[in-house]
Amino acid sequence: MIPVKYKIGDAELICIQTDRFKSEFFSFRYTLPVTVETAQQNALLTSVLKRGTEKYASKLEINRRLDDLYSTTISTYSRRVGDMQRLGLSADFLGARYVGGKYGVLPEVMEVMAQLWLHPMRENGRLCHDFVEREKLVLRDAIRAAINNPRGYALAECKKLLCVGEPFALPLIGVEETVDAITAETLTDRYEALLSSSVPTFWYVGALLPEQVIALVETHFPMLTGTRLAYETVVAKGEGDPVLKDEEMPLCQGKLSIGFRTDISHGDPLAPAMLMMNEIFGGSPASKLFLNVRERRSLCYHCSSTLYLYKGVLFANAGMTPENRAVTEEAMLGELADLSAGNISRVEFEAAQRSLDYSCRQLFDIPGALTDFYDGRLLINSDQTVEEYRKTVGDVTREQVIEAASHVRHGATFFLKGTLDGEEDEE
Amino acid sequence: MSEITIHTSELLGERYYHTVHKSGLPIYVFPKKMSVTHALLAVNYGSVNNVAFSGKKPPFPDGIAHFLEHKLFSNEDGSDSFERFSALGADANAYTSHTRTVYLFSATDRLQESLGELIDFVTHPYFTPETVAKEQGIIAEEIRMCRDNPYDRCYYNMLDGLYHRHPVKTEICGSVRSIAQITDQTLYDCYAAHYRLSNMALVVCGELSVDEVVAVVDARLPQCEAKAHVEEALAAEPQTIHRSRVIDRGQVAKPIFSIGVKDIAVPADPLERAKRDAGMAILSEMLFSPSGELYNRLYEGGQISPEFSADFALTRDFGFLQISGEADDPEAVLEEILAYLSEIRAAGLSQTDFERCRRVEFAEYIKSFDSTEEIANTLLAFVFDDASLFDHADILKNMEFSYVEGLFYEFFDPERVTLSVVEPQEGV
Repeated sequence: MIPVKYKIGDAELICIQTDRFKSEFFSFRYTLPVTVETAQQNALLTSVLKRGTEKYASKLEINRRLDDLYSTTISTYSRRVGDMQRLGLSADFLGARYVGGKYGVLPEVMEVMAQLWLHPMRENGRLCHDFVEREKLVLRDAIRAAINNPRGYALAECKKLLCVGEPFALPLIGVEETVDAITAETLTDRYEALLSSSVPTFWYVGALLPEQVIALVETHFPMLTGTRLAYETVVAKGEGDPVLKDEEMPLCQGKLSIGFRTDISHGDPLAPAMLMMNEIFGGSPASKLFLNVRERRSLCYHCSSTLYLYKGVLFANAGMTPENRAVTEEAMLGELADLSAGNISRVEFEAAQRSLDYSCRQLFDIPGALTDFYDGRLLINSDQTVEEYRKTVGDVTREQVIEAASHVRHGATFFLKGTLDGEEDEE
Repeated sequence: MSEITIHTSELLGERYYHTVHKSGLPIYVFPKKMSVTHALLAVNYGSVNNVAFSGKKPPFPDGIAHFLEHKLFSNEDGSDSFERFSALGADANAYTSHTRTVYLFSATDRLQESLGELIDFVTHPYFTPETVAKEQGIIAEEIRMCRDNPYDRCYYNMLDGLYHRHPVKTEICGSVRSIAQITDQTLYDCYAAHYRLSNMALVVCGELSVDEVVAVVDARLPQCEAKAHVEEALAAEPQTIHRSRVIDRGQVAKPIFSIGVKDIAVPADPLERAKRDAGMAILSEMLFSPSGELYNRLYEGGQISPEFSADFALTRDFGFLQISGEADDPEAVLEEILAYLSEIRAAGLSQTDFERCRRVEFAEYIKSFDSTEEIANTLLAFVFDDASLFDHADILKNMEFSYVEGLFYEFFDPERVTLSVVEPQEGV
């Protein structure tokens, strides 16, 4: 399960050859900056490209073709990595031993992917006006639907406060105000700029030989000249007092999101220790947030932390009765202070080590997750394998965790205050 | 221990083992060379089983199955089983559904120890008034969180529309008021009534052999169980629906909807039920998937969002089809759906569509064998019906077009349809 790189033109194909799975995985991804001008257009573009191609005139024809290919799924691949984005398509399909033939359905799957990405249906050289206008409405609805998920909304708002003005804070689907200005013309320009500005990385996880996959990529994706954009992300501890913001919504619960900045990201010698720090703080059911704030003090149902190590930011999130906001926030920050002061028990430390070890090993069972791991390493020019990474994490010391915690600085707090009475709301 | 039955699939190149432990616990072991081993200890007891006997009051407060699931993680020595699993490097969890309570872990090593811990904590209840009071606070927050989830609300409102008195309409977590009535004693009573080993199943998929699993169970469980589980009869549910429309308001940007169709012909025979389930999955795919005419007609017309989907649920006690999505005018979407079904009723289903959708179901079935978690969960869906996981392939292979046609004409009665909508709050 070791990835091997191959050059195809200016692009790279990375193969993980294995017969471990009944299904196979193929994907291609571009590295793109996240800007106000382009992020939303990229999001819209991937929807429009899936509406119709030169060969498959409608969504219906595309979907039926995929059904015929033994329920192949082709989905948009959009992943934020620090201040940048990886964008492309991913396919999941049955392997040759179930569908027959030397190559299984991979040639047909690549043909559909190439149709979607390189041969969209056009009108007078432009992407179809009707497709663009319909998908603009879908995108606008998706932007508005952020409030349907109060927990996600609180986290997104906290990101905006913590990283104001930085690409990390921009929603990848953009904001409603800019949707109307997009036209078939401007989107076509964006599409052509994307294709001409860089080359993608191709990923394959499956049983075929690399030379077989190379030949198929060369046949279906003849656009392989250009450069891959260099990965750049601002990682800074920040300064000044935390930024605070409250907002009200007609909800039963309050949703609290506390944002922290660090100057540690992937590639930093303290990165593995930062992972351990997050795990002990709120990354697992054995963490301080879960066991102390939820279980012992019974202040919330969900209380956890998430580390975005490519950006070097950390968020602690909880949902609670609005009256308990202050006591919960104090308890959560108290757990971090406790950890920073070195109060880490042997049980907590070993549980975090084992939890991260489990996270690494489970990558081998999920082709998409395995490629995500290596895709991220590729961006920061690291050749570290999962096994090597596991060992690095396993070697972290208690002192390094405490040192990592000293790099964590409270930068923002967002509170979504529920204004409904949970009891009265019941029938 | 009874004999070991081996179930084999040549198609998949897989096999699993079934035996009944001398304690009465059914055991299913699906060896699989993957990094993660997944184990479930499931109780054939969910929120719907908290029902009245012969018209008497429910014996336990609503939400008790879920409350019990939470509380079993607390141990007599003051430790929390989450901590114990974490010390072993295992990722533990649990959930309560309408029909089951499931305790589980995933791990990459120290598998026997984790398995022992799973059996230990589920079979050793320990409750005190203090720990119950603490849990009431946590679960009250979970209930509030669910109330803030418009999709949950839309779903339960749909069930309320479909059912007059069936307990499936009651929220799995109960309410803040109902869980306030739960005491340590009610938990012990509930545990004693339902947590019989013969009413449970242990399912393991991964790097453990059947002998290794049995050895762990041998070391943890007594020779034989004292009492057999007593099956309860659910209160009779009329064939009609309770309400055809349930309109609510919530924190949504645009109306969301769930259209429910009540199944009034749930087969008592497990094999027949499995066939009906598979047939309905194919039929739903034919009628409502993104590869169908209806989806594309509604999508092109701007009437639905891309997430429009349909899902059929069938258990021993109830069945329903749920069609969900987001729309400016859910009522108009329902009208379009009913009009489309009338068109199909007149023109007939397409056999080409049937073959395509059967192929989709078949491919999805094969793909599901790439994950130990998915295998264990799928296997669990069959074990309480005493059916074989591999029979599903034969059911799909032998499914006749005429059977699915028959389902179509029988199932879609507009009189058994309810529409649940959550509209935006005023002023949004």
